[in-house]
Amino acid sequence: MTSLASPIITSRRPGWVVEQLPFDTVPKLFWQRVQELGSATMMRQKDLGIWKAYSWAEVGDIVGEIGAGLVSLGFEPGQVVSVLANTCREWVWADLAAQSMGGVCNGIYPTDSASQCEYLCADSGSVFLFVEDDEQLDKYLEVRERLPQVRKVIVFDMEGLHKLDDPQVIGLDALRELGRAQLKATPGLLQQRLASRRPQDLAVLVYTSGTTGKPKGAMITHGNICAALAATNNALFENLPMGGERVAFLPLCHIAERMIGEYVSILRKSTINFVENPETVFENLREVQPAVFFAVPRVWEKVFSTVAITIKEAGRFQQLAYAWALGEGARIGQLAEAGRRPGPLQQLRYWLARTLVINNVRRMVGLDKVQLALTGAAPISPELIRWYLALGIPLREGWGMTETTGGGTVTPIGAGKPGSIGQPGPGVELRISEQGEILMRGPNVFAGYLNLPEKTAETIVDGWLHTGDVGRVDEDGYFYITDRMKDIIITAGGKNITPSEWENQLKFSPYVTDAVVIGDKRAYLSCLVMIDEDNVAQWAQDRDVQFSDFRSLCRAPEVAKLIGEEIEKVNKAFARVEQIKQFRLIEQRLTAEDEELTPTMKLKRSLINQKYAALIEDMYSAKAAA
Amino acid sequence: MSAGNDKDVLLALANVESSYGPIKAIRGVSLKVRQGEIATVLGSNGAGKSTILKTISGVLDPTRGTVMFKGEAITALDPAEIVKRGLAHVPEGREVFPLLSVKDNLLMGAYTRSDRDGVARDIEQVFGYFPILRERQAQDAGLLSGGQQQMLAISRALMAQPELILLDEPSLGLSPKLTKEIFEIVVRINRERGTTILLVEQNANMALNAADYGYVLENGRIVMEDACEVLREKEDIREFYLGMKETGVRGERRWKKKKTWR
Repeated sequence: MTSLASPIITSRRPGWVVEQLPFDTVPKLFWQRVQELGSATMMRQKDLGIWKAYSWAEVGDIVGEIGAGLVSLGFEPGQVVSVLANTCREWVWADLAAQSMGGVCNGIYPTDSASQCEYLCADSGSVFLFVEDDEQLDKYLEVRERLPQVRKVIVFDMEGLHKLDDPQVIGLDALRELGRAQLKATPGLLQQRLASRRPQDLAVLVYTSGTTGKPKGAMITHGNICAALAATNNALFENLPMGGERVAFLPLCHIAERMIGEYVSILRKSTINFVENPETVFENLREVQPAVFFAVPRVWEKVFSTVAITIKEAGRFQQLAYAWALGEGARIGQLAEAGRRPGPLQQLRYWLARTLVINNVRRMVGLDKVQLALTGAAPISPELIRWYLALGIPLREGWGMTETTGGGTVTPIGAGKPGSIGQPGPGVELRISEQGEILMRGPNVFAGYLNLPEKTAETIVDGWLHTGDVGRVDEDGYFYITDRMKDIIITAGGKNITPSEWENQLKFSPYVTDAVVIGDKRAYLSCLVMIDEDNVAQWAQDRDVQFSDFRSLCRAPEVAKLIGEEIEKVNKAFARVEQIKQFRLIEQRLTAEDEELTPTMKLKRSLINQKYAALIEDMYSAKAAA
Repeated sequence: MSAGNDKDVLLALANVESSYGPIKAIRGVSLKVRQGEIATVLGSNGAGKSTILKTISGVLDPTRGTVMFKGEAITALDPAEIVKRGLAHVPEGREVFPLLSVKDNLLMGAYTRSDRDGVARDIEQVFGYFPILRERQAQDAGLLSGGQQQMLAISRALMAQPELILLDEPSLGLSPKLTKEIFEIVVRINRERGTTILLVEQNANMALNAADYGYVLENGRIVMEDACEVLREKEDIREFYLGMKETGVRGERRWKKKKTWR
């Protein structure tokens, strides 16, 4: 086998340099901003439908009280708190409070079950647990006997719990009350606790959604986070002004929103707007019209399909106007991709298209003021990136992982390459191993997995983090991902197949949400497909295909044919052995609560293989019989 | 789609969409009602249940899709024509003629018929089902109680000798006892006369016990369908339609689970 190894690659973009930061821990950054910005708005969240704003100074007071409240209950530096809540203001308060008092903050997905919460609390050794409301509290109460180390549970929203008489459960307001008393008794508490932390101390724990086995707690230090932050101003935010509105809605337990939604927002002096709940993201987006919007590809696709469906139901004139304007936008986008400038007539036509049509579309989706549009955590279709470009929104792609504190590569503004994840950020060294795996070295690489020294040793070898992603680098220093290392399939014929490459192509179809290719030790490849319910239902309705519930939609022969055609389209781009010969649709509507999905709504390969074993066998016996 | 022989299908809706002005009330509804069964459509307020019935009986014309009755398209036909073909609609809120006597109301139901003997026989039969109507036959219908008006509305529909009755919320505004009585008679009508019934209800418990096959409608779309004995055991139906939920460790629970419809 030929070696796939590359030399060490760093950023080649001028200006992408590591910034010297005047702080070395996360809470020091926050308290510095509180000093500087005082009465400016730090965050907003709706109360009974009306946005309520909190200034930096107010948040400072609240965070101080919560932190002191924890200390009054015996919280010591280095101890861990867990937060079990949807993305909301209190989540950020609890995180900053725990860290300000020298503690470590761990997030638990609000969709996790009681037993998963139990595992995460026990493994992290959490001494306090913050929960959002009665629903999340019930999870703890179910497993409390097995969590003796949890001293108190603090509830953000006490609605429906006023009658609850449990000495172990208190409301957030009661904790702040305790905090106020503590602060009076020990005025120097905050300074003393802030001084107790050094860069090598643990700041947060992020549990990675293990596709096999139990989740692993990634230990991320203050130094890791500060290193990741030191790379953002010059690279991700190249030439962009400080401040501006943000919308936070992805889970804060995930490294991406924790960094970009919380810590980078603090660094950039932005205003964080929390969505009301996961269902109101698009309405809130329209209200806020943020300057920075980070989302996963699913969300970007959703915005596109909302516009597509609206246009379909609009009048003939609007449809023509939209088609014309998008055409003008696409031409400008093509020229930009080719590095050429449009002529004066073209510029005039584009100006007309912008003024008459495109700006309305941008306002309608809530992206009219967006300066930084960022996607990550999963591959995105080049067509989708072009559609946003036609709207005048350069959608940039970032690549990183929990173990790298979210840092890694990003596409430079105005210099992206289709299909590429961009160049290494400042301070990050990348190289490709002999097996084709991308390795990373840098101050953002995490401190290891909690309680799992062997796993840590497998992941960080000689100072290089094994990312598990297989990829390549081109002559300009741009990286491309082809697959996950452990997902590579070896067929019965001995052929190595990279399934994600094929899956990602299929996922670019609007009718497919996710797919899993199967074929390890098999004669040929097959796949299980999860359809995009909205788009397929709309498609079926437009063509008078009869269906009632989700299962009957999946069973409609026309839908099977549609997906079959999409699969054939993708097959054409692959060699014969890499083509899919059989497929089945997953007939159950899966939600974030289901174990088959990761919190970022991706299918878990190994679990799908187990759970749908019968369906998989069926594909192979059916083919054999045919 | 639901299993079963297509020959038995009395009523079939395919991809029906109906709107009130710019507001789409039902979006792509496909359902089947088989000969001799009681089918039910469950759904909350505003789900589009009544709109389905209005679209079937021709009161509302669909913007899309077809309605087939006895193998023939009746989409957007005149309501009177649809009644003549054997399909009667008992509207939500009874809608009896308040200033006509009970007997005249029944005769209004037989408006499309010309066999006077048959009509007289059928009046006797409905008086058999609802003896109170015989007592009150000369009274103005507006003076009847809600339950009696519901009985009258059902009887009026029977007077057209329909093969299929569309029954819209018979339990509306009635006491639990009366609701039970009405449902018993609905089942009796189905068993004795062989009349097929499409029942729309908010009272899921009653409807699931009376009906054979059920559809669940949410926001104008069917999200679940199955035989009623299967539906009764589904977790989402139990929690959201039958109000049976585990109270958890605290002994009370006010938060709602997410619907998954499986």
